Amino acid sequence: MASHHPPRTTNHEPRTPWLVRWLGGEHLVLWLVVLSFVGLLPFTPDLASRENLANLLLTLLPLLVLACGQTVVLITGGIDLSACAIMAVASVVGGLAMNGDTGWLTGSPWAAPVGVLLMLAVGAGLGALNGLSVAVLRMPPFMVTLTTMMAGGGLAIWLIRSETIYNLPPAFNALGGRLALATLITVALAGGAHLLLSRTLLGRWLYAIGHNARMAHISGVPVAGVMLAAYVLSGLLAAAAAVLYTGQAETASPLLGQRLLLDVIAATVIGGTSLFGGRGKVLWTLGGVAFIKLLDNSLNLLNCSFFTITMVKGAVVLAAALLDATRCRLLEAEA
Amino acid sequence: MSPEQQRLVMRALDAAPLVLFALVLAGFGALSPSFLAPANLVNVLVQSSAIAIVATGMTFVLLTAGVDLSVGSIMFVAAAVSGKLLLAQGWPPSLVVAGIIALGGLCGLLNGLLIARLGLIAFIATLGTQYVGRGFGMWLTETRAMNLPEAFTQLASNRLLGVPLPVIVAALVVAAAHAFLMRTPRGRQIYAVGQDAAAARKAGVNVRGVLWTVYVLCGLCAGLGGAVALAQIGSVAPTFGANKEFAAIAAAVLGGTSLFGGRGRVWPGTVFGAVLIQGIENGLNHLNADPYLYPLITAGIIFVAVLLDSARGRLRRTLGRRRIRPD
Amino acid sequence: MSALLQFEGITKRFGGVPVLRDITLTVEAGTTLGLVGENGAGKSTLMNILAGNLRSDAGRIFWDGRPFAPAGPAEAAAAGIAFVHQELNLFPNLTIAENLFLTRFPRWGRLPWIRRDALGTQTVRWLREVGLEATPETPVERLSAGERQLVEIARALSLEPRLIIFDEPTTSLSDRETRQFFELMSRLRARGLTMIYISHTLDDVLRLSDRVAVLRDGALVAHGPRADFDAARLVTLMVGRSLNQLYPTRACWEQSVPAPAVRPLLEVHGLTQPGVVRNVSFTLHASEVLGLFGLMGAGRSELARMLFGLEPFARGAVQVAGQPLQGNSPRRRLQHGVAFLTEDRREDGLALEASIADNLALVTLRRHARRGSGWLNRSALAEAVRSIRAAVRLTPTARDTAPARTLSGGNQQKVVLGKWLLAEPQVLILDEPTRGIDVGAKFEIYQLIHQRADAGAGVLLISSELEELIGLCDRILVMRRGELVDELRRPDFDRERILRAALHERTAA
Repeated sequence: MASHHPPRTTNHEPRTPWLVRWLGGEHLVLWLVVLSFVGLLPFTPDLASRENLANLLLTLLPLLVLACGQTVVLITGGIDLSACAIMAVASVVGGLAMNGDTGWLTGSPWAAPVGVLLMLAVGAGLGALNGLSVAVLRMPPFMVTLTTMMAGGGLAIWLIRSETIYNLPPAFNALGGRLALATLITVALAGGAHLLLSRTLLGRWLYAIGHNARMAHISGVPVAGVMLAAYVLSGLLAAAAAVLYTGQAETASPLLGQRLLLDVIAATVIGGTSLFGGRGKVLWTLGGVAFIKLLDNSLNLLNCSFFTITMVKGAVVLAAALLDATRCRLLEAEA
Repeated sequence: MSPEQQRLVMRALDAAPLVLFALVLAGFGALSPSFLAPANLVNVLVQSSAIAIVATGMTFVLLTAGVDLSVGSIMFVAAAVSGKLLLAQGWPPSLVVAGIIALGGLCGLLNGLLIARLGLIAFIATLGTQYVGRGFGMWLTETRAMNLPEAFTQLASNRLLGVPLPVIVAALVVAAAHAFLMRTPRGRQIYAVGQDAAAARKAGVNVRGVLWTVYVLCGLCAGLGGAVALAQIGSVAPTFGANKEFAAIAAAVLGGTSLFGGRGRVWPGTVFGAVLIQGIENGLNHLNADPYLYPLITAGIIFVAVLLDSARGRLRRTLGRRRIRPD
Repeated sequence: MSALLQFEGITKRFGGVPVLRDITLTVEAGTTLGLVGENGAGKSTLMNILAGNLRSDAGRIFWDGRPFAPAGPAEAAAAGIAFVHQELNLFPNLTIAENLFLTRFPRWGRLPWIRRDALGTQTVRWLREVGLEATPETPVERLSAGERQLVEIARALSLEPRLIIFDEPTTSLSDRETRQFFELMSRLRARGLTMIYISHTLDDVLRLSDRVAVLRDGALVAHGPRADFDAARLVTLMVGRSLNQLYPTRACWEQSVPAPAVRPLLEVHGLTQPGVVRNVSFTLHASEVLGLFGLMGAGRSELARMLFGLEPFARGAVQVAGQPLQGNSPRRRLQHGVAFLTEDRREDGLALEASIADNLALVTLRRHARRGSGWLNRSALAEAVRSIRAAVRLTPTARDTAPARTLSGGNQQKVVLGKWLLAEPQVLILDEPTRGIDVGAKFEIYQLIHQRADAGAGVLLISSELEELIGLCDRILVMRRGELVDELRRPDFDRERILRAALHERTAA
């Protein structure tokens, strides 16, 4: 029953149709950004003004940080609806600690660094609550982060009774307000997230869980720990975004980021990160964030009203979702 | 745990929403006797009628393991259109109410198209329509608040046989929804689709048709809920209906509807959930609690409900495991 | 008597592998056909073609004398064919009555309103028929496995079909329920219903059928009135597959090479989980390939999943290399040097959308990460992937970055095997490692199994292909209904004995 000549196996790698390649292409969104920028320029020459570009960049930075956190969670197949609420709580706690009138750290030379650390700790703590509920108690991410969103929003308002805190330390305001500094911080954070996802053990594990959590568990991936890390990271990045936004506005407010949730999810989904998990990159998210911000900015310059912008954004999300669904269907048909 | 013990735990978890409801009522009653006064209880019912109607629609969607994040925007669009019709066109209130409901159904059709026909994930599709709807409504109202004529707001304070009209409307909706879910073929098929859409398709159920049905019904309920809330509030502000999708989901889940589909009922579940949410707010009011704490407490209670739901789901999977030996 | 159903030259291939070869078979109206065969002999495929779940590649079916090619299950059901599957297709959240009439509720005229009274009485009628004492309003999730099986049968009957296919209907029934079911079958037969009865319990088949058909390796090897057969003859007919697969030999099977020292690696004592396995004890030695045979639903995969910490067990102990296993996560098992290739490649084995390299590296990823930072040494990782690709002979045309989805089944399985082999496990549990893959890839996987054993590892090989186990193993364990019932060493391998042990023998139980 022995043989010395094993039969040969053959394998054909299927050719990918061009439509699938284009739709699934990595740089689709970056192209869209460039195209819409060039296309819009004749209608709003102001778009390319130095002042406007600086403004565009400044408002893009914190959104990018926030969206990086969302990308990490989406890659695991989860979602973090509470990121914006976490941002609000972090902002308020930072404001309470640092402000020059009644702050706990008033007058201390360490006010700004300790305040920032405190904000980050708040973000990590709330993220850990999400993570523990999802990973250990195995609750659905959507509902968990929804309740955190409700509770966080309420907590931020309760802490300072809907007021706004002014008089923050100048050193702190510079973090988000000075363009060079804010850019540096954002590049460091987004770059860090990129390296984490592409070059580290944790990053590979995040993708593996998003692709197939059962398979990952069987393959020895510590699934619960990795999920926890994803939500803590999202919380941390939300807090970092709060530092940038709060510094930019020079005020701490519980209403910070109330309307950002759609922008964040839209940016990541438009970038190509899949809601089903396993697919996503920081670079793609950068494209999505740039697209959303460009849309915002140019529609503003075109004197479109807030409601038009809201409608257009909703339509863009639907278009991105349709694209994602079409892509999935094409891939399935191909398989 | 032996299977028998597991079944006992299962029964306990199934009864948990009702126990939670009773505990909250009893707790508030003990702390503030005026809470349980009949007039106040009626008050709670009136306050919860709009959200009960919207949550009824949401229950249909959740039963198929979907979600509809656009109900708040549907309420807003419906309210904005009816404001226009009342103020600018001078339509009679009854006609306006009919128009609102039809408009809600139309929005539901749009969601149905995206989800049942084009196969989008319910979450992202309805998130998109949520924003489109909110933007459309703001365009209609030009982001200004509209105050409605008394002829319309009167509807909310009318009573029929001593029962406030909003409560009657909610009761009718709940009764119709309950009957639909329990007594019609389509209603029972909703449960089959939520349990296992692939198996339902294999058994010959028109799964797409079921999905269309639930989103249209959810839109209809959102429109009607918007009308009731509009009559109660008396004006359309740009934030009208905002975040009501979360309240509706919370009411359904508090009432024992599972987010994983196939489990839950409008009556008693969702109704009790809606009343519970309003009851908590009302009770905290009676205790003179810090109003800023309301969302925290509500979120905490919803968290517990979701936790119970996922524990139940996991236990059910263990119990449903295939057996090889008749031990 | 007239022929109700005729198969004429039915042929079916899956990915080039023939699973049905030219089946020609007639079922007379009002008779019962017993259909037997080993796992994978083609019984289910044939029935699925009849029930509209699959299309045949060649050949025709005649139903009531007319050509019949159902496009889907609905069409077959409309023609009067009902199928009681081995797996249950019930909705546990609905009541018995609703499960029976989900798509054809009795209504008030044309109104979409369920007539509860009619629903109740009709359901009671079918429940009484199958002998299930439960009210129609009982939710199915409250029923035991056996009761659910009866509901499934009641559902088939309620379609008032002309032909019913029963696929292993008695596996989850208690003795009392089984007796009731057999009484039901004789009532149905008396009423003139035509039936096809598939079972591994040969005595039952012989008792209940008018004619018996034996499938082997996709071909009809015998067909005739039941008087022509007895259990022993059936077993003989079922085994003795054609030799379409070659197996590599191990050096230690030659008499000149001394047998390896017997060192226990995996020791299992009294493993018990109610409803799943009972009192399973065995030892897997170093350098040994130990086969585990059993028919579908014998509990082989469940046992493997318990050993790997994926499912709980109530009693018993497991030791690896003399150390008791701690914790119950796959991660701990890996630390003990245990690896587990699961039965379901697409669900549990691969990330289909992830790249080939990522799939291969996943299990051993931690070794290439710096402690603390988790920074990956990408060149070492690439080197590991390169070496294992060569070792498992993965097709060279596929790039490392291509999604695993784009590979053929055989190459996908090599990726799964490769990721575990990279961990150099001392105990390798393989659950159906060659299911659904082509002949060439099978041979290469066989060689890899032997290589691993020659290197000193113990291999527990689970397969429903008896020939494969006989070709590859040093020892074979036989499992039936969650219990180990026989053990054979290589010199004593005997197909009939193994199959007899694996088949249900009600007289012995």
